[in-house]
Amino acid sequence: MNRFPVFGKKSDFHLPKNFKTTLVLLILLLIVSIIVSLLFGARAINMQELIDGLFYPGRDSHGANIVRKRVSRTIFALFCGAALGVAGALMQAVTRNPLADPSILGVNTGASLFVVFGIAFLNITSADQYIWLALFGAGITAIFVFGIGSLGRGGATPIKLVLAGAATSAALSSLVTAIMIPSTYAMDQFRFWQIGSVGSGTWDSIITFIPFLAIGLLIAFITAPALNALALGDEVASSLGVHPSFLRFCAAFGGVLLCGAATALAGPIGFIGLLATHLMRLILGPDLRFVIPMSALAGAIILTISDVVGRLVGSPGELEVGVVTAFIGAPILIFLAKKSKVRSL
Amino acid sequence: MEKTHLFRADQLASGYDDKIILKNINLEIPSNKISVIIGSNGCGKSTLLKTLAKLIKPSSGDVTLDGKAISKIPPKKLAQILGVLPQSPIVPEGITVSDLIGRGRFPHQSLFSGWSKKDYEAVAEAMEIMNVTEFADLDIDELSGGQRQRVWIAMALAQQTDILFLDEPTTFLDITYQVEILDLLTDLNRKHGTTIVMVLHDINLSARYGDYIFAIKNGRLVSEGAPQEVITDSLIHEIFGMKCVVIDDPVSHTPLVVPSGRYHSHNNAD
Repeated sequence: MNRFPVFGKKSDFHLPKNFKTTLVLLILLLIVSIIVSLLFGARAINMQELIDGLFYPGRDSHGANIVRKRVSRTIFALFCGAALGVAGALMQAVTRNPLADPSILGVNTGASLFVVFGIAFLNITSADQYIWLALFGAGITAIFVFGIGSLGRGGATPIKLVLAGAATSAALSSLVTAIMIPSTYAMDQFRFWQIGSVGSGTWDSIITFIPFLAIGLLIAFITAPALNALALGDEVASSLGVHPSFLRFCAAFGGVLLCGAATALAGPIGFIGLLATHLMRLILGPDLRFVIPMSALAGAIILTISDVVGRLVGSPGELEVGVVTAFIGAPILIFLAKKSKVRSL
Repeated sequence: MEKTHLFRADQLASGYDDKIILKNINLEIPSNKISVIIGSNGCGKSTLLKTLAKLIKPSSGDVTLDGKAISKIPPKKLAQILGVLPQSPIVPEGITVSDLIGRGRFPHQSLFSGWSKKDYEAVAEAMEIMNVTEFADLDIDELSGGQRQRVWIAMALAQQTDILFLDEPTTFLDITYQVEILDLLTDLNRKHGTTIVMVLHDINLSARYGDYIFAIKNGRLVSEGAPQEVITDSLIHEIFGMKCVVIDDPVSHTPLVVPSGRYHSHNNAD
C-alpha cells in the first residue's frame, strides 16, 4: 500500500533538495569571510601578526592590535548580518509580502526618529544609549502600525499592515527631517549614525547586542513552523490550529527586536534582509524552518564581506557598509526580480 | 464507532462587520455522513461553513463539538478533529507537493518533535487516497487545476481529522475532475468514516453525492434531510427562484433537477 518514496533519497521532504550542499557551502563561505575580514583592510596584515593578535594577548605590535580590533568588528558584523537576515525573513512571513523588509513596518524610521530626538534634545551620543531609544522607537512604531493594521475586518491582514507601515514611515521620516533641519549639531551626529557602519563594533556593543539577538532568534525558531502554515493563507492557518493575528504579533516582535537592535548599534543597513532571504528561498524553496536559519548564515556572510569590500574600496579610509550593501544589493535584487524568480510568499 | 462526533449549531447568527448574514441557524451535522450545503449565490452557505469551522466568530449562538463550544477548545486540539479546506488557499511559490501536504501535519507536531514516523505515514496515506503520490516532488505550479485541488485536499487529509469541511472543492474544475474529486471524497467517507461537510454549487452532484442536504435561503436554513426529501420542484423554486422539473437520475436514482427557462420548454407549450 505504501508506495510513497519518502523514505528513499529522492523525496525526503523533511529536507529541501539542496539543503546539505548549501549548508556546507555557506559554512565554507563563513570561514572565508571571517578570514578576509581579519586580514584585509586599510592596512593588510601578515600571518605572523594575525597569529599574534589572535592567540598571544601578550604580544604587542601595531599589526596585532589591528587584528584584535578587527576581531570584535567581525563578530559584530556577523551578528548584525544574522539579525538582519532573520528579521527580513520574519517580516516577509508576517506580511506575506516578498518585498517586505524591516522598514516595511516603519521599524527603521521609528528607530531613526527616536535616535534623532535623543541627539537633538537629550544630548545622547553613545551607542548604549542609542540602543534603548532606537528599540523603543522601533517597538512603539511596530505596535502603532500593528494597531492601525488590525482595525476593521479580518484583523492584521498583510495588505493592511503594509499600508499602515508605509503611511507611518512617511509621516515619521518627515518628523525626522523637521527635528534635524534646525540643528546643525543633530544633523552632523545623525548623519554619522544614519549611514550604517559596523566599524564602531566594540566588545561593548557586542555584549549589548547578544540578549536581543538570542531572544529574537529564539522567537524565529519557535514561530517558523506556524509561519509555514500562515503562508497558506489565514484561513488554512486557522484550520491548522494557528491564531493568525497572535502569530503575526509574536513574529513581528522578534523581527523588531532583531532589526531594532542592529539598527541602533550600527545604523540603518538596508538590503540584507531582502537579499539573504531571497537567495535562500531561491535555493531551498519556501520552507521557513530552513529558510530562517540559513538566512541568518547568509546575512552574516553578506554583511561581513560587504564590510571588507567597503574597507578595501574606501582605502585609505573606508566606505560604510550601509553604502556597500546598497550598491551590491540593489543590482542583485533587480537581477533577481527581472528573472522573475523572486519567490512570492 | 469512536470517530463519531456530535457537531451542533444552536441559535447561530453570524456575518461580517455589522452585516448579519446568517440568522437563527439550528442544526446537527450527521456523523460519518456526507452533508452538502446548497443555496443560491450570496445566500450565506459559505458563511455558514466558515462559522461552523471557527473561521468566522458567530455574532450570537453557539457551535459545539461533543457538547463543548468550539471557541473553548484549544486551537491545535480542535485542528486534530476538524479540518477545513477554504475556497482560495494561497500557494507559496516554488512549494513542492510533498511540502504542501506535509504542512497539514502542523497540529500534530510540537516544537521539538520534528517529523515522526506517524507524520510520514499520514502524508503518504493522504497522497495515496488523493492519488497524487506520483507528483510528490513536483512544484505545485506544474500541476493542472484538478491535480492541484487533489493536492489541497490531501493536505487537509494529512491532518487526519474525523471531520472535514470543504468550501466548494469542485469549483472551476471540468466535470470529469468534479466527479473524480467527489468520488475520492466518497471513498474517504466510506473507508474511513470521515464526516464530510461541503458547499457545492451543482445541485445534481449534491443530490448524488450527499447523504444529507442543508438548503439555505437568505441566511436561513429552509430545509434539511435526505436528497429525496429535500430536492423537490417547489424547494428548488423557492431557494433558486427558478422553475424546474425534478426527475429520477438514471445513473444514481437520486433527484435530478432539470431547469426550465423561458425558451426550449415544450411543457409550457402543451
